[in-house]
Amino acid sequence: MKRSVPFETFRYVAILAALAVTLVPILWMVSMAFKPIAEWSATGADLTWWPKQPTLDNFRFIFGESTSNLIVALDRTAAKPIASSLLSAIFGTAIAMGAGTAAAYGLSRFGSGQNLPLALIQLRLFPPMAVMIPVMIMWSFLNFMDSWWGLALIYGIVTLPFAFWLMKTFFDDMPREIEEAALVEGCSRLRVFTRITLPMMRAPLASAALFVFILNWSDYLIALLLTTREWVTIPVYMASLSSSMTGQLYGAKAALGLIAAVPPVVMGIAIQRHLVRGLTFGALKQ
Amino acid sequence: MNATAIMKHRDAAVSDGENTAAGVTDAEAARLGFRLTLPAQILVLFISAFPLLMQLYISLTDWSPLSGIGWWSAWELWNNFANYTDLAADGRFWSALGRTAIVMLVCVPAEFLLGLALATLFMDEFPGKRFFYSVMLMPMMVVPAVAGYMFFMLFQSGGPVNDLLSSLTGFPVTVAWLSDPTLALVAVMIADIWQWTPLMFLILLAGLVGVPEDQIKAATLLGANAWQRFTTIVLPKMKTIIVIALAIRVIENFKIFDTLYIMTGGGPGVATETISVYIYKVTTQDLIWGYVAAIALAILVVLSVVAVLAMKRMAQGREA
Repeated sequence: MKRSVPFETFRYVAILAALAVTLVPILWMVSMAFKPIAEWSATGADLTWWPKQPTLDNFRFIFGESTSNLIVALDRTAAKPIASSLLSAIFGTAIAMGAGTAAAYGLSRFGSGQNLPLALIQLRLFPPMAVMIPVMIMWSFLNFMDSWWGLALIYGIVTLPFAFWLMKTFFDDMPREIEEAALVEGCSRLRVFTRITLPMMRAPLASAALFVFILNWSDYLIALLLTTREWVTIPVYMASLSSSMTGQLYGAKAALGLIAAVPPVVMGIAIQRHLVRGLTFGALKQ
Repeated sequence: MNATAIMKHRDAAVSDGENTAAGVTDAEAARLGFRLTLPAQILVLFISAFPLLMQLYISLTDWSPLSGIGWWSAWELWNNFANYTDLAADGRFWSALGRTAIVMLVCVPAEFLLGLALATLFMDEFPGKRFFYSVMLMPMMVVPAVAGYMFFMLFQSGGPVNDLLSSLTGFPVTVAWLSDPTLALVAVMIADIWQWTPLMFLILLAGLVGVPEDQIKAATLLGANAWQRFTTIVLPKMKTIIVIALAIRVIENFKIFDTLYIMTGGGPGVATETISVYIYKVTTQDLIWGYVAAIALAILVVLSVVAVLAMKRMAQGREA
């Protein structure tokens, strides 16, 4: 359909305005991350929108290298919080995807676990804050407090609904002919699942895993409650990047924020076409 | 979202039965199905049945981690349902609930309208569409806590937001956004709208693209203008998708915590304290866990009732 020139102009103006609003906060953080202290601590009229003297000082600082310009030293670097975020998100994703994929296949092909779809949606409905008291008690009983494996377990449970629903819609969409042919050939059902179905589903599995990873990586509240010192994750650690002498270390926070923000944005763009399906529990496909 | 998804699932289950009726009857399949679903069942049970019973038990007592006794002996601190009567009279709880409702009533419609407007601009092809689309989705992928730090920086009194306002208005603006009770709430809502409008945009665009084009063309030939086409053809076709998108945001917005807590910590005072922030503070600062358990259970019960009613309503709408 050919549209009029005024409409096209309007469209571009509106989209560019939305683009500016979308990008300014992100670009501000990027800019702060590369500013030297004199620039990121400036306020009011001295504010610079883009670093005049770009530097990697902020990144060096959070990884423990002493930078001459900052009078404070960190009592711990960002390395371990990054490791904690990575380990808990990766293993949490493994738990959710393992249990979710198996259950989704069991339901999709054999009709087992009819209660799961509703139970898992309820799990998603409730605010995590409303179940954290028992979880904290259970986790201290199991000696899981302040550990990446404790986080991984709760992450695996919290994102199980997404893994299950995503994989269920993928299995439902998959043609059955190949599986049936293999059955006729005398393959056991388990063999069909592990040797034929799963390899065929590699791409959907990867998309679902990335989606679940983004969710786990994005957590703040659970880590805030379940980790205290040893295995705090990136967002929890970030709060400690301030000092009584210099106040908020904006530059350091921006640098670490950038490190935390890049993986999910890249992954999210990579799995763009499955985002709708993931976010709506498979109710909608793009 | 929930009701539709579940109804879809039921439909799928029915057709599954037909498709594989010949193969599934044997015991091997049933056994394998049971084994495959077992880990998920165990995880669900592990996080629902036992914790809920524990929560119910603790909620009837004055137990706290500082009580010096294990939670299982909490009955020694039995308090005759005092937590629940306290809750009914807890002004801070009710105002936190009200504030959560206000945030929801502002943010969700704003996100919906902005998302819908943007989505209509993306309905047909134009140069640069893919690029703009990808950029537009970025905010929802930024870790919410990081978005919180971003907006915390932006809204400082000597920060870029005021700088921008200064250069627009011509005189220096030094609003202390995050320490003013009203403006702090506004700032928090702006951050939420910034982050989650893309989600509305994404879902609504998926719906808009699915509206059959020939119907729109037919209406155009019959002389309907763009607004008429939108209200009489596009919106009715989008009904389910709109409900799903709104439901997702209502559910998620009710839980609002990360960005808000980092930006304001619920303050100044309790000016931006939503229900999750309130529970968090009582849990970690006041440490009265028996009471927290009561609040949490009350919320779980209310949410469950709302969810069941909503699903029933939607199921009726579907039959009609």
